Amino acid sequence: MSGLGELRNHGISEAADPRHEMANAWKIARKSNAQLPLVIVIALALVLVLLGKAQSGLFDQARIKVTDWLAPGLEVARAPARGFDRWLGSVTEIFSVYEENLRLKEENARLRQWRNVAIVMQNRVGRYQSLLHAVPDPKLNTVLARVIGRSSRPFVRTLILDAGTRNHTGPGEAVVDSRGMIGRIYLSGRRTSWVILLTDPNSRIPVTVATSAGDGGAVQAIMSGDNSPQPTLDLVSRTARLHAGDQVVTSGDGGLLPHGLPIGTVVAGSSGGWRVALLADAASTQDVEILKYSEPPEKLPPQAELPAEAAGLKPLAPPLQTRTEPPPVPETAPADALASRQQTPRPQPPDRGTE
Amino acid sequence: MALERGAGQGTATRMVAALVPVLCGLVCAFVANIPVSLTGGEVPPPLLALVPVYFWCLVRPDLMTPAATFAIGVMEDVLSGGPPGVRTLSFVLTYALVARQRDSFASLSGLAAVLGFASAAAFCCAVAWATVAVLNWRLPPVSPNVGELAMTVLFYVPTALLVGWLHHRLVGPLRSDI
Repeated sequence: MSGLGELRNHGISEAADPRHEMANAWKIARKSNAQLPLVIVIALALVLVLLGKAQSGLFDQARIKVTDWLAPGLEVARAPARGFDRWLGSVTEIFSVYEENLRLKEENARLRQWRNVAIVMQNRVGRYQSLLHAVPDPKLNTVLARVIGRSSRPFVRTLILDAGTRNHTGPGEAVVDSRGMIGRIYLSGRRTSWVILLTDPNSRIPVTVATSAGDGGAVQAIMSGDNSPQPTLDLVSRTARLHAGDQVVTSGDGGLLPHGLPIGTVVAGSSGGWRVALLADAASTQDVEILKYSEPPEKLPPQAELPAEAAGLKPLAPPLQTRTEPPPVPETAPADALASRQQTPRPQPPDRGTE
Repeated sequence: MALERGAGQGTATRMVAALVPVLCGLVCAFVANIPVSLTGGEVPPPLLALVPVYFWCLVRPDLMTPAATFAIGVMEDVLSGGPPGVRTLSFVLTYALVARQRDSFASLSGLAAVLGFASAAAFCCAVAWATVAVLNWRLPPVSPNVGELAMTVLFYVPTALLVGWLHHRLVGPLRSDI
């Protein structure tokens, strides 16, 4: 179905001899010295790759404008696509309904036990917090959004949401569903946003693993996507030990994401190392929340506590025992006054600690 | 007078026909990158834009020029959301391969023609994979590329039939004029 075969199949041979036509076309290509522009175009493509690596803003702007333009159509197409997806899912799952039902009943009974444990623990934590006068976690503002598009390319896995800058969302904000974190926004248009999934090869976020063994400490790690359903875990400490089933949450390091967002559980990788079985399922989720989190700016300590040398200033003079007032500047000519100031030592600011 | 009008119309028609391969490639890039997945994003979409590039590179290389392939690659890059320039480079290099081995590819028919396209698509996916590996300085997983290649080959036959029909209806009749 290519080349001469296609020409024959589509009836072009009736109009003219395809061999003659093909030879004619080749003559045109060879006559126009097609090799020269090809070399130039390859060079341009290489420049484009390097330019895109150095500065991808132009591409991103074009992408988000196209997505904004497509948004109404995507919202219309969402319902039939969702219906087909459900139908496809029901077709594939209909043969395992009985086993699935038994498994869910067993899991439900086990979860009921855990629910009671969780309620007891929640009450206990509440009592401890009131005893310690603990500062409660700040409540996060959220924006509810719907998934109107999915893209699963070999080098990028994204969702497209129907919330953009007009809903006051912006790049870097975490996207979660009812089960856990899905990803974070990396492009925001006026009406739509692109979400980079945790499974995307470009996704790397700092996480905390709550180890279940030993003293129950926390292990810091970096979770990296590699286009597989389970992202990899790179431990910061080489001596830390993990176990399958340990809980993984966001660490909040860097201040981009809030601390403690549930992500998943640790599982052993098939080729060694540890991976994370995600709680959220980006393939099936339809409604998500965008967390509007911004770490409060760190307050500067009082000026007196700042080390002057760290700022490149001269160290403060030690507090004087007897303070002498600078001599009054006589009312003389400006040149004389300047000369007298240069000779007079500058008064040091009073030391707040002694006041 | 009538002859001049007819000649003018013929020139306009030829210009439109000359744009058909490029427009077809751009439309294919657009359709393949509409972010609606019927499988929940589990299956990667095919590289539909590669089909018109391959087809017209064999049949009418004067209409599917390197510059046209470059434009289609840029469109694919913008819409797919991947690393900028990767698809452009892979499309242009695939075009260069097909143009260089045009005699071999054009002589194929039937199942061999599908295998010929599959080899070109495999080269395209391999170039993209290698480019991303160099850019990120680590090896990306191979399985998504294999999935994309499989989908592209799967969609080749219906897309090639459509492209061939367009060629026959819009471009083919004007072949003798050039």
